[in-house]
Amino acid sequence: MSLLNRAFELEGIPSVMTTWRDGVARLAKAPRVTFTKLPRGASIGSPHDEAQQRRVLEATFALFNQAAPIKPVVLDETLTE
Amino acid sequence: MKILENREAWAEHFKANWLAHYEETGETNFKLYEYVRNDEPPSGEALDLSQSKLLFVTSSGAYLKNSQDPFDAPNPLGDYSVRTFSSATPFSEIAFAHEHYSHEYIDQNPQSLMPLRLLETMQADGVIGELADNVVSFHGYAPDVTRVLDETIPEILGIAKEQQVDAALLVPA
Repeated sequence: MSLLNRAFELEGIPSVMTTWRDGVARLAKAPRVTFTKLPRGASIGSPHDEAQQRRVLEATFALFNQAAPIKPVVLDETLTE
Repeated sequence: MKILENREAWAEHFKANWLAHYEETGETNFKLYEYVRNDEPPSGEALDLSQSKLLFVTSSGAYLKNSQDPFDAPNPLGDYSVRTFSSATPFSEIAFAHEHYSHEYIDQNPQSLMPLRLLETMQADGVIGELADNVVSFHGYAPDVTRVLDETIPEILGIAKEQQVDAALLVPA
């Protein structure tokens, strides 16, 4: 997905990504990404925790507000159940 | 700038190590796998999402269980194909073909990975200008990066252009 993040940006279509897998995204130099401590399979947030899911999305969407590349943003989000 | 700066070197390493081991033994050994590296991230302009059309892209292996073929999830060499379906699709019509992450969270609440209803709410709230009619889904387990570059990414970019989107949200599983 990090390469797709780069591909969109290179096509002139800004794209944002959120992932728990920070090492791979850092190596690939993804241009707009947030990192969480959520588990694999719940990248947006804990099941039925819509407030957390919305926080993750809003923080990730905030990456559109600046020109890329942006230093990866680390979110303090973990599984809440 | 390229999507992958050192494609030839990556491909050579992949063939000589991970793929050679797989062809010899039938086993996948990710200690032999080299994750992609780049030196520089690409540049791009800022964007006002409230005035933009957003495409949702998931690598969860989501597909329409009654009308689309599932991804080839058991294939150790991966699946590089792409599915699209309406962003308004009810979750009751969506299944996930992917064996490389636990489905315990999406079984409880698919929005944990694929927040289609929440994106609709954020569109109604004015955070997102417009959601693209269709979402894009692919299979995140795809070890041959050259096939990702030659098959998966061009197909997804083509869909994005067809739908005339301004921006994309990418959510890996």
